[in-house]
Amino acid sequence: MIVAEAKNLTEIGKTIAPYGRILVLGCGTCVTVCGAGGEREVALLHDALRLMDMKAGNGKHVFLECTLKRQCDPEFLDVLEEKAANVDAVLSLGCGIGVQAVAERLPDLPVLPGVNTSFLGMAKEWGVWDERCAACGDCRLDETAGICPITRCTKGILNGPCAGTKNGRCEVSKEMDCAWVLIYQRLENMRQLETMRRYYPPRNFRAIPRPKRVLSKINAAGGGHE
Amino acid sequence: MSVSLFDEKLNSDAFLITTEIGPPKGTDTSEILHDIDMLKDKVDAINVTDHQSSVMRYPSIGGCLLVKERGGEPVLQMTCRDRNRLALQAELLFAYSRGVCNVLCLTGDSVDVGDHKEAKPVFDLDSVQLLRMARLLEGGTDMGGNELKGVPKFCLGSTVHPEADFVEPQLVKFDKKVAAGSQFFQTQGVFDPATLRRFMQYASQFNVKILAGIIVMASARMAKYMNDNVPGIIVPQAVIDELATAEKGKGLQKGIEIAARFIRSVKEENLAHGVHVMAVGNERIVPDILEAAEVSGIHA
Amino acid sequence: MYSSLNSKSQDVNGAARRPHTDHSFIPPCQAKCPLQMDIREYVDLAAQGKVMEALQVIRSGNPFPSICAHVCTHPCEEACRRTQVDSPVSIRALKRFAVEFGGDRMVLAEAETTRPEKVAIVGSGPGGLACAYYLRKLGYPVTIFEAHAEMGGMLRVGIPQYRLPRAVVDTEVQRLISMGAEIRTNTRVMSLDLLFDMGYKAVFVTIGAHQGLRMGIEGEESPGVLDGATLLREVNLGLKPSLGQRVVVVGGGNVAIDAARTALRLGIPSVDILYRRSRKEMPADETEIKEALEEGVNIQYLVAPVNIKRANGDLCVTCVRMELGEPDARGRRQPVPIEGSEFTMKVDTLVSAIGQAPQMPGGFGIRIGRGSTIQVDPLTLTTNRLGVFAGGDAVTGPATVVEALAAGRQAAHRIDDYLQHKYPRPVSTNQPVMTGELDQQTIELVRKIGRFEPLYLPVEDRTRDFKPVESVFDWESAVNEARRCLRCGVGAEILFQDKCASCLNCVRVCPYHVPYIDMAGTIIIPPDQCQACGICVAECPARAIVMRKPRERRHIADELDHIVKTAAQSKARPLLIGFLCQYGLFGTGTLAGLWRSGKAGIWIVPVLCTSKVEAHHMLRPFEMGVEGVFVAGCGEQCSRENTDHWVQQRIHKVRKLLAQIGIEPERLQAFVSDKNDGRRLREELERFTEQVSSLCLASILKQEVRN
Repeated sequence: MIVAEAKNLTEIGKTIAPYGRILVLGCGTCVTVCGAGGEREVALLHDALRLMDMKAGNGKHVFLECTLKRQCDPEFLDVLEEKAANVDAVLSLGCGIGVQAVAERLPDLPVLPGVNTSFLGMAKEWGVWDERCAACGDCRLDETAGICPITRCTKGILNGPCAGTKNGRCEVSKEMDCAWVLIYQRLENMRQLETMRRYYPPRNFRAIPRPKRVLSKINAAGGGHE
Repeated sequence: MSVSLFDEKLNSDAFLITTEIGPPKGTDTSEILHDIDMLKDKVDAINVTDHQSSVMRYPSIGGCLLVKERGGEPVLQMTCRDRNRLALQAELLFAYSRGVCNVLCLTGDSVDVGDHKEAKPVFDLDSVQLLRMARLLEGGTDMGGNELKGVPKFCLGSTVHPEADFVEPQLVKFDKKVAAGSQFFQTQGVFDPATLRRFMQYASQFNVKILAGIIVMASARMAKYMNDNVPGIIVPQAVIDELATAEKGKGLQKGIEIAARFIRSVKEENLAHGVHVMAVGNERIVPDILEAAEVSGIHA
Repeated sequence: MYSSLNSKSQDVNGAARRPHTDHSFIPPCQAKCPLQMDIREYVDLAAQGKVMEALQVIRSGNPFPSICAHVCTHPCEEACRRTQVDSPVSIRALKRFAVEFGGDRMVLAEAETTRPEKVAIVGSGPGGLACAYYLRKLGYPVTIFEAHAEMGGMLRVGIPQYRLPRAVVDTEVQRLISMGAEIRTNTRVMSLDLLFDMGYKAVFVTIGAHQGLRMGIEGEESPGVLDGATLLREVNLGLKPSLGQRVVVVGGGNVAIDAARTALRLGIPSVDILYRRSRKEMPADETEIKEALEEGVNIQYLVAPVNIKRANGDLCVTCVRMELGEPDARGRRQPVPIEGSEFTMKVDTLVSAIGQAPQMPGGFGIRIGRGSTIQVDPLTLTTNRLGVFAGGDAVTGPATVVEALAAGRQAAHRIDDYLQHKYPRPVSTNQPVMTGELDQQTIELVRKIGRFEPLYLPVEDRTRDFKPVESVFDWESAVNEARRCLRCGVGAEILFQDKCASCLNCVRVCPYHVPYIDMAGTIIIPPDQCQACGICVAECPARAIVMRKPRERRHIADELDHIVKTAAQSKARPLLIGFLCQYGLFGTGTLAGLWRSGKAGIWIVPVLCTSKVEAHHMLRPFEMGVEGVFVAGCGEQCSRENTDHWVQQRIHKVRKLLAQIGIEPERLQAFVSDKNDGRRLREELERFTEQVSSLCLASILKQEVRN
């Protein structure tokens, strides 16, 4: 799941300043799940922006609300023809993908991001989100006990812990577990410590060259260096 | 055949003494030169740190060249934090070409602890991969499999953390570093002789030299601060308590006393093959410590 | 939002999930009530201290709430699911609270005659009165014929006054008269033909069951033997029968208990009840049995009289001891006499209260069935004679007041159908009834709060006269008792499944761990476990979850709109807006003083638990230009422990927004009341008011400096 975080209102206020009629566009998938851009956040942001306008003493903006099932698929964006017909800009609360998809769909309209797309991750519990995947294109979780050191170790190192770990926690945060301590413990439980003893060679950081593209059909143009 | 004076000493039975200096923040090298001059004849080698604690400074290789110029024996600290594999290889070639052959291969602190928190952390390689890469260069090819014109030769070292509260994964990594070709190890700061003894029992199975890391602390407050903020450092309560007994203004004196006592016991009880003294920005006191410990790094 | 966009899907599913549809369940209490009263609703209103509104709801479902408030056998309480947690809600006592505090006596009942067809009602018991009430409401001229001198049937002559004061019945009868019902007391109807001759177009026969059943033992005719109904009637009509010093009552129903307790109040020192089964099988109301025992009635179980002899001024009652044999077809264990266990009691009076039957004048010409009861079609209440309907005890045998009221109401509607030539259709509802037990886990997580009881007269004061035994709830106990209601069937539902992103917030935030994920990965909120706290509604990021009742969905938004409108009309701008828990604070009046004491500018949005106040609710008042907003919950009195946690979460979120907008975050505050110290909250609020005023002043100054 893509995890995002609401942008600061001050920042949003600056980006929308030049425009009058603004469509606040939510997305019903990932950003709904992480509470950053679903229908509830759209409504709350709408209220907050109106209040900000009022506070600034210039009620010059008009806001419209709409939440799509998913912003990152062109077919779901068909309704924008009508919804965005009379607006000056779209403030998308979708992730970076959503913003771009909407921008592609609306060639003549400014599409502004309302959230910061943070990472690929999961909920640890209500209201707590953790990164889990770097989308590196070369998954080797089989070698690290199903725990990704690329994302869960602050340095993303591959051959064991650095010397900064303390009490099983990472050197950058006493709240975060050291991924390598977790990997060691899990492998020990599974009696597979020899996996960790094996040398892990330098990674291929360009498993899919950028711009990345994945093909599942024939006769299509590949991405990057293809 | 030894690649450096330090390499030669590593192959002897001498009790080794190394220390480290941090390059300046800026271009004024007067202070570092003073420190080099003061230390070069009292220790077996001087590490030059590589943006220690992720604080941007004059480069490590630059510091090493200064040590070289002044007639000292430099150890190039090299971290994976700031350079990808191209830059790392290039720098190793450069170091060798200028006679800097002792390299301490490190992962490097996280950028989050430093003074450029928004920097992109590289970590293209880790310390084990860096060691292997250096050995690969010695074989005449780079990581891309291309042949080198002119081949370097290094004396490689690395670090180990025997006092980690969960030491097993550290030992796994230690093994990997040994296998990758690390000839010597500087430990993270150690304080407990018993832990060091246990670690040496383990490490003695390998043909490597262990230099016990000695951290000098100026006060109980500093010790507590390091416990809370410096990656990996665990100062035991007994040491903090002892520091706390120092009279006002005599904290550093106490710290020197503790460090010297520890060095003596390392030497007398054979707890390691040498020591690596880390004065943490207080390089001037290193001679005092060595004097108090009655050890000397000159084994010509 | 997007459901309205995807017009194609809306056509397919739109009807099923229109946001204004009521998806609530009928709670078990209502389902069990013969009158199908909206108990959950009036209990909830009582919990908010809204007694008048509660009474309104009660009156809409019950023609004579004050009567039921005293004597209803409350089958609702038996069905109450709170029993599974601790003990049932005291529904009847709460009704009495609403009736007395809501000013039922002042309610005027009016009715207009809009129909020409006259209807005769034979018998003025609860069934007859109810029928008359509803027929008057429907516009029919009505005449009630009563054989006794006083109206009320069993309400007057059957139920002792310590349970149902005479004044209560009088009030209701007066109200009926003022509605235009014609009353003919001392008029025993002997022939229905006569009534039709007099121009009545329909007749409702509700003559009750006043005839005591015979015990069928030797000596039953002896002087000193009388039946319970007769005793109660005489006492209720003001006679003082002389019963001697020793009275024994035979039977185990409510009449037996009433007779025994009445005897005590007549000054009889020794009153025994003989019952042939054990306490467990005793059909009388449990509370009644308890009260009788408290008052000194001696109940002998597993004893039955077999013979009565009169000798030397004594009544010698020979009894036999029983044991319980095999259960019969209805599952009741039959008493079997123990051979040789006979013993004799010497008493002055024996009261037989083993049951009653209707006593129908021969001239009625309607078909009689088992136990002398009138045979009717259960749906239409029609008898074998055209235009003659029957109901109440006369049809069912001795039953309860509430059942008779229900029969009377049913009769009124069926008579209306008959007179209007309408096909009689039963009132049907598509609303499903809440069934199902609470899960053990739910039970454990519901905060346990013991049942509050109204005060009872001390035992020593009871038997001196016929004063009412039970007093009405005091305000605070009533509110606290009403809050125990679990509000079965109004919980949350995932109404917009297409919006649900399966984020699992509902699963994670539910204080009762009610929502679950089924094998297919669909999130289910089981309605029989949901406690209707609304936390998942407020936390659902897709706004896919709503409360099952439309009114609850919009409650806070509506209240806010109301304030906006009021403010616009009065041209007064609120300084502070507070979301106040309507239950604890307003309900028990903790905060009432603050608002009444002239704190101008503080406007209140009453909320039914602060857990329902969403982030945007807190933000909105600022847009209206208020200086501060606060949320005041009832703290420890809340039905759950973590309401404040969720309020704090939302406050935190909104404060962050406020800071970004440039409004001091301290202008938004949350408070909880202290159960033991109402003053504390008031002081905190006063501090907050001052703080906001100084912030207000500071910002004005800043503005001036800038200018």
